[in-house]
Amino acid sequence: MSFESQEKSLRELCESLLRDGKVKSVAGFGPQSPDTGLSPPLIAKTAGNAKRLSWNSRCVPSIARYLIGRDGPAAIAAKPCDARAVASLVTERQLERKDVFIIGMECAGMTDGSGAPLRACAECGTRRAPVCDAEITGAPETARGTRDAAEDFSPERFRREMDKCILCFSCRQACYGCYCETCFMDRGVPSWQSARPDVGAKMTYHLGRAMHLAGRCVECGACENVCASGVDARYLIRAATVFVEEEYGFRAGMDAQTPSALLTFKSDDPETGFWKDGKHD
Amino acid sequence: MTDVIGEHVFRQFLASLEPAMRLAGPVRDGKIVEFREGAPEDFVLDDSVSYKAPKEFYFPQVERLITFQDGEAESEPEPRPVAVTGARPCDLEALRVMRAVFLNGRYKDPFFEQRQARGLVIGLACDARKPGCFCDALGLDMKFSDFCDILLERARGEGAFKVTHLSGRGAEALAKFPGTADVKPAPARVGVTRGRALGLDLGRGEKEFFGLIDWEDAAAACQGCGMCTYICPTCHCFEFRDVTENGVTGRYRCWDSCMFPRFTLHASGHNPRASRAARYRQRVLHKYLYVAQNTGHIACTGCGRCVRSCPVGINIKSIVESLTEAEK
Ligand code: SF4
Ligand code: SF4
Ligand code: SF4
Ligand code: SF4
Ligand code: SF4
Repeated sequence: MSFESQEKSLRELCESLLRDGKVKSVAGFGPQSPDTGLSPPLIAKTAGNAKRLSWNSRCVPSIARYLIGRDGPAAIAAKPCDARAVASLVTERQLERKDVFIIGMECAGMTDGSGAPLRACAECGTRRAPVCDAEITGAPETARGTRDAAEDFSPERFRREMDKCILCFSCRQACYGCYCETCFMDRGVPSWQSARPDVGAKMTYHLGRAMHLAGRCVECGACENVCASGVDARYLIRAATVFVEEEYGFRAGMDAQTPSALLTFKSDDPETGFWKDGKHD
Repeated sequence: MTDVIGEHVFRQFLASLEPAMRLAGPVRDGKIVEFREGAPEDFVLDDSVSYKAPKEFYFPQVERLITFQDGEAESEPEPRPVAVTGARPCDLEALRVMRAVFLNGRYKDPFFEQRQARGLVIGLACDARKPGCFCDALGLDMKFSDFCDILLERARGEGAFKVTHLSGRGAEALAKFPGTADVKPAPARVGVTRGRALGLDLGRGEKEFFGLIDWEDAAAACQGCGMCTYICPTCHCFEFRDVTENGVTGRYRCWDSCMFPRFTLHASGHNPRASRAARYRQRVLHKYLYVAQNTGHIACTGCGRCVRSCPVGINIKSIVESLTEAEK
């Protein structure tokens, strides 16, 4: 049981899917870069190219977004978080369930360049895709923890993280859920960000994004994994995720039917979080 | 040789530049190393390389150019000049490119010019290539660039630097501090020879490059973030923004990136670079072709930052190599 055996099964499956015309493309991971060790996203369109699909502890990028707008049915070599992202995109009508063939890769957790588990992966308790059409098991055993309970929500910490941010929007671009054609940050009318990319704009962006991901985040950690500036803004989103889980019992992408809490209106919603001590907060 | 100076003494020299100058250098913060203003003892002068280039001290991410108030317009007073310590040879060569872009054309950029003319640049030779670095493939010397005022090279295992100066300004600054007064000029040396751009034939027309490789395929994974632009030592695109707060209007210059769809969006709604592939192609060709045509310098110094930081592993070197390969 190893990455190698999973990789072998994955290639065989994808070669036959492409050869038999079941799918037009497969989104997965390519051979590791000699410079960084990262397995970059690979879109294989031929059985020959499927031989290059790779599976290892550096298949870090979040790849569900590559399926949006693809023409024809596509398969995805999905980590559990990718599978959750696909399921969530289906409930949000960005993908048709019948157009995606989810290959659930049992996941030992991904690592950074030094071999240490990525933070999101260390927190993640989901080894197997909750939604899939085929599954490739046999991932090595690894010790995995749970979410940190205590977080520092002080304005000082927020400010410290914001000072590092360079507003490159890599985190937004990497996130499966940030598929808006025009992000609120890019809108002119009304303009949400101060026209000048200062610390206020950074705060607006990260708080705005946290709100938009409330109960939609699949906790893949893509936003923090891609950030070259070492910013941790995911703790804001995590807080929103925990809130939705506790108040509404909803976790994004656990099935491909239940619409997300953010897309659900209930007239008897207690609207906890909007109200404090009986008053509008 | 008197030109080997203890690290401690060199840091004291840096401190002696204050308060006339602000000091900037590489600082470690958790996982990252980045150039920040700070105290000399905080500067990381080992062989670790900053994740983004020190260009912001010459070309800040946000800078107020003009203030409008009560019908008057005033330009911003220049802050104290800055001494940047620890720029790598690839960063120094990048400054040469920036200078050509900002000062050699029809219009000179006074803001960039002032900062360069008044500041001090202290380079730091590399001990070894870092993963992703390809300065050597572009003909740079990882231990030398003359585009600085003072150059440091770490003396092996001694907690000391071999120090040389490469400009009158560098010599003058060192002479003022007792511990560095004897530093010699760098030995005369054939300047940096920049060869052909990874073997690319730059005589070829732009349109030919468009068809050489499948750009859609090359950029298939690109997420269109601006990371590669923002951390690159030579990227220099900007836009202007006017902000009014409490009756005072500021005109700001802010970094922009050709990887953003809005970069070339016309008022009509037409976008000449509508796809990510077209935008990524611009990035590569601007660096290796257009800037070279306009200034004579290839606008990539092989610093490897985009190679290390691209979240989806896009590697500009392999892409340029695939162009060279396709030319054959
Ligand atoms: S948090 Fe990181 S990835 Fe996101 S905008 Fe800021 S610097 Fe870029
Ligand atoms: S090449 Fe990489 S860093 Fe640059 S915009 Fe594309 S995904 Fe971002
Ligand atoms: S294009 Fe990449 S390697 Fe070249 S100078 Fe810019 S960041 Fe460095
Ligand atoms: S056009 Fe693109 S690659 Fe060239 S300097 Fe501007 S942002 Fe950088
Ligand atoms: S590319 Fe790397 S080895 Fe070369 S000068 Fe820059 S940091 Fe040093």
